[in-house]
Formats: sequence, structure tokens, C-alpha cells
Amino acid sequence: MAKLKRDKPGPFEYSRKFSLRFSFFLASVFLYAPIIVLVVFSFNNSRRGGNVIWKGFTTKYYEKAFHNDALIEAFTNTLTIAFISTIFAVILGALTAVVLWRFRFPFKPVFEGMVAMPIVIPEICMGVSLAVFFSQFGLYVPAGTPYPFNLTNIILAHITFSFPFAAMIIRTRLNNFNREMEEAAKDLGATEFQVFRDILVPHMKPGLIAGALLSFTLSLDDFVITFFTSGPDTVTFPIKVYSMVRFSVTPEINAASTILILITLLVTAVAMKFQTFEESH
Amino acid sequence: MAPTPIISVHDVCKYYGNFTALEGISFDIKPGEIFVLLGPSGCGKSTLLRIIAGLETESKGDVVIDGTDMLGIPANKRPVNMVFQSYAVFPHMSVEANVAYGLKLERLPKAEIKAKVAEALEQVHLSQFSHRMPDQLSGGQRQRVALARALVKRPQVLLLDEPLSALDAKLRDAMRLELVKLQESVGVSFVMVTHDQSEAMAMADRIAVLKDGKLRQLDSPTALYKNPCDQFVADFIGRINMFDVSSHTRNGDAVQFDTKTLGTVTLPASLMPANTRNLAIAVRPERVRVGLEQPAAEMIAVTGTLGDVAFQGDSSLVEIILDGERSITALATEAQAETLMALEIGTQVYANWQPKDMLVLPENASE
Ligand SMILES: Nc1ncnc2c1ncn2[C@@H]1O[C@H](COP(=O)(O)OP(=O)(O)O)[C@@H](O)[C@H]1O
Ligand SMILES: [Mg+2]
Repeated sequence: MAKLKRDKPGPFEYSRKFSLRFSFFLASVFLYAPIIVLVVFSFNNSRRGGNVIWKGFTTKYYEKAFHNDALIEAFTNTLTIAFISTIFAVILGALTAVVLWRFRFPFKPVFEGMVAMPIVIPEICMGVSLAVFFSQFGLYVPAGTPYPFNLTNIILAHITFSFPFAAMIIRTRLNNFNREMEEAAKDLGATEFQVFRDILVPHMKPGLIAGALLSFTLSLDDFVITFFTSGPDTVTFPIKVYSMVRFSVTPEINAASTILILITLLVTAVAMKFQTFEESH
Repeated sequence: MAPTPIISVHDVCKYYGNFTALEGISFDIKPGEIFVLLGPSGCGKSTLLRIIAGLETESKGDVVIDGTDMLGIPANKRPVNMVFQSYAVFPHMSVEANVAYGLKLERLPKAEIKAKVAEALEQVHLSQFSHRMPDQLSGGQRQRVALARALVKRPQVLLLDEPLSALDAKLRDAMRLELVKLQESVGVSFVMVTHDQSEAMAMADRIAVLKDGKLRQLDSPTALYKNPCDQFVADFIGRINMFDVSSHTRNGDAVQFDTKTLGTVTLPASLMPANTRNLAIAVRPERVRVGLEQPAAEMIAVTGTLGDVAFQGDSSLVEIILDGERSITALATEAQAETLMALEIGTQVYANWQPKDMLVLPENASE
């Protein structure tokens, strides 16, 4: 059939309406202008990162960042913490979500509220309470503990604040699970475990991926809670950047941040790719 | 000798708190029959089907399948399979994988699974869709996947919960026939739940009519139609003109019934049911003749005015209005309907029928 050509945009042709295009443009500027500036000036050949005058293209600050051992260490710590805490947060979140969705038990609303609490508690309170908790119970990691176990406290803290988010997302996903699906699997001969593995987990998968993404990014840029639970030997990227900025803003920080943004984008892209692959198969 | 039943349901009750969903249900299902559980929404049909499948536990009573008492045997170990109302096709598996799932759980060899799946898909005419995902299928095709997935397990009995209710009207009529054909070719008993009496009449070998968790009558479609046991069954199965009886008196071989609409009607005593509480007398529309002249004296007759004539192809439903609110429905043949349609609406007519065509029905035979 020939495509119709119309001059006026139809009711659903949002992309052809000027007002909508303009508001989209505005939103994009607000969202991305600071990031674009950050990335662009990571290539600026100027000694000061806050300098908004373009002094020519250079990649020397990337080299510098890569040779800054303290920065690299902080960066590796951050990625390790994010990676390990995400795995645990998703497992814990999924189990919590399934229990809350599946079973009825006394004081269930209380339990549900308790799980959601870390989402609303101010981070500063969480940070302080975790720090106090660790020191009260002597749960500090002795100096010289091999990597990555020297990060245990921070990882525990990160799991604590990110798993409720994962649990909420997975719980929401479970709400539109058709219970007849579970019964159909059982009817075909599946045990409880086989139902969980073959039917429930595949259904939860988008929630698991979204939960993991959120946990990962929450952990990656957490400052407040990490600040209270890290020691002098366990510096993370946000804390390192903060201390460097207090000293002076150099394009080195721009460069390191750009790499962090790239990693975040990459992780998101891989997760999304994975999800669309699932859907088309 | 009656064949041994494939399923025997004995005195099954189900309570949710102090709500009684099922009470004292007993019946046998014969091998190779289409057995329909029919009743209005909420009468407990699905609950009964789920008890047979093992997805719900009966509060009382036994379910015996193929000679084995099913008490304590979970759904995944019962030799029956179910087609769910929502079809419950697994969305993350292809058509083929859906059908293969139950066989994989049995740990059959790959080649055997492949052959059986291909055969099952052939049976439901889905061979060319085997690699599609469920969201690329129509509702009717998804239902076939659910059918193939259950049948490939070679169950002793296939349970179907309102299998046609989610399809559009035209497809539904075609699927009725197709399901019956499928049942004949695979030979297993079907236990089907429906609230649609015409569906039940068209497909069933036997129908169990349920109301408020109780079994009202169990019979073949024709027997249910010709000899309904009470007013509920008569009204639920097909159309009927029902007249409440205010009092009745017996005179030897005849009984006199006093009714508001028909006055006093005398019928043979052989029509009297065992239970005589809150009687009504009734007549099926196809027994009612509509004429312009005074009918013979032995006929039961009532005068009214001609209402709507609803054309239905080879026959027509004729409405005769008695007074403002009451009316009688008659089923007229093509020729009769043509003469009636030539008349003005409001013309005075006589609706009449023979006394032997009347049914005498208690309100509830089992009370
Ligand atoms: N899990 C349950 N808890 C309480 N009541 C239920 C439950 N399941 C079904 N019922 C009630 O039992 C009755 C029969 O339900 P069902 O068998 O689904 O009826 P239908 O004949 O429409 O299939 C309904 O009144 C329903 O509300
Ligand atoms: Mg139902």
C-alpha cells in the first residue's frame, strides 16, 4: 500500500509536532549539557579543569589519570564494590521479593515496610548507623587484609542500601505474573523448584536486570554511606574525586569521570542488548 | 455392564472459611466421553476441575482417577492435564518448547520428544508455527498450543476450563466442532467447564448442571432438555415458558394446577415429580403453536397479542404478550413465521399447546 503523505501531523505523530520537539530538546539540554561539557573539557589542553577557555585538543590528562596509581586504585575499588554488591543485592532482593509475593504470614505488612525503609531513610543516617554498627561490634577489617576482602565493610554497606531497591523492582515485576502459568507448569509435571527455575525466574528476568542496573549505578556513585564505612586504605572513586577537587580541579578528574560514564553506558547497553535479545527469541 | 469409570468423584465438598463452594458432589466419568460441568458463574465449576487436577484440595470426599485414590497426590503426579482459561502459554518459550516442556520434565530422549511434539502440533494444525513465540500468535492459536501441550502428555483425562470463552463468536463455533473431532481422534475423556449451555449441548456426551456448589442434574443433553428435574435446570438449558403454580389438587389420574397466567390447568398425574415443593408448570417454545382461531377444547390455550418475531434462519422466535409484563415465547417454522410476520404487531392471537407437552417442575428437586 502506498504511504499517505500528510502535511498536518496526525494525533499520534508526536515527533512531527514542534511543541513536543522543543520540549524534548529542552529536556535533553538539561540532562546532558553538564555531561557534554565535562567530556569535552577532559580533552582541553589547560592546567585547570574549571577553565572554560578552549586551549586546544590533548589526551594527556587521560595518560595522567592512567598513571595516577591512587586514582586507579580508587577506580578499581569502586568497580569491585559495585560488582560484588550488585550480585548479592540482586539475589537478596529476588528472594525477598519472591517471599513477599508468594507467602502470607503474620506481620507481613510490617516486614514489607521494614524492607522498604532504607529507601526513605536519609543516607546520612544510614551511613552513621552503619559506621557505628561496624565499630560497636568490632566488625572492621584489619589492615593488610588481601584484596578484595579489605572492602568487606563497604560491600556490606552497599548491599544494605541497594537490595531494597532491587527487591521493589522485582516485586513489581512479580505482580503481573499469571498464577495459572505456575499451575500449568505444575500440571505438566514440574516440581516447585522446576517451576521456580523454568517459569518464575524467566518471568523475573527483566526485573533482575533492572534491579542489577540500579544497584550497580547506586553503588558506583555512592558517596555518603561509603564515606562513613571506608578506611584510609579503602578509598573509592567518588571519595578520591572529592578529595582531589578540594585540592584543585584538574582535567584529570574530567578524564577519569568520562571513563566512569563510559563504563556505566557500556553496562547499560549490554544489559539492554541482553534484554532485547531475550525478547526476540 | 457399565465400563469402569476413569474418574470417580465421591461426595466432594470444598469450604473457604464458612463459605461452601462445593457440597456433596458425586459422579463418575466414563472413558472416552466428553463430560461437561455446566452452571452459572461462581457455582464452583472451576473449583471442582482444579480439585480433580490437584491444584486445590477438597475439604471432604475422594477423587479416584483410574482406580487410584488421589488423596495427597500433588498436581504434578496426577495422570490428568489441564487447559487453563487464560491458556497460560509460557511467553518465554517458543510454541515447540511449550509443547516439549512437559516431556522434558519426564526426561524422555530428545528424539522421542521431537517426534511427539511434531505429532501433537500436527494434531492441532500448528506445525508451521512451531518456531513462533506466543506473542506472535492469535488467541485461537495460543489455545491450540495449550491443547497440544496438555495432549502430548497422553493424559488419562483432559481437563478444560472454559476453553472457548476467550475466543470471538465465530471462532468459538468452529472450535466446538474441532474440539469434538480432536477428542474423537485422541480418544481420551474430556472434562470441560462452561457457563454456556448451547456450548454444553453441542459438545457434551453428558452434562452435570451445578448451582451454588451443588449438583442439580446429570444427564445427556437430550435428557436434560426433555426431562429437566427442576425449574433451574429447565430454565438454564434452552428456552422455556414457566408458570408458577399457587396450589394444586389431585383427582385420581389428574391434577389441577392453579396458575395466575393460565388459570386452572388439568394435567395427567403421571407428570407429577417426586418433590412437589413450589411447583411450576412449563412448556418449551417449540411446542407452542400460534393461531388466529380459537383452538380445540382439549388444548391449553391463552390469548395475547403478537409481539416481536425474531428471525433465526430456519425458524423464528415469536413473542406473544399476555398482559403488560408477561409474555410467552413460541418457536415457529419458516412457513408459520412468514404468515405471522405478515400480521400487524398487536394482532390478537391464541398461543396453544397439548397438555402432554407440559412439564411439572419443583423449584429444586434435591431439597
Ligand atoms: N481461594 C478462594 N477463596 C475464597 N473463595 C473462593 C476461592 N476460590 C473460589 N472461591 C469462591 O468459590 C466460588 C466458586 O468459584 P469458581 O469455582 O471459580 O466458580 P466458577 O463456577 O465460576 O468457575 C466463588 O463464589 C468464588 O468466589
Ligand atoms: Mg471458572
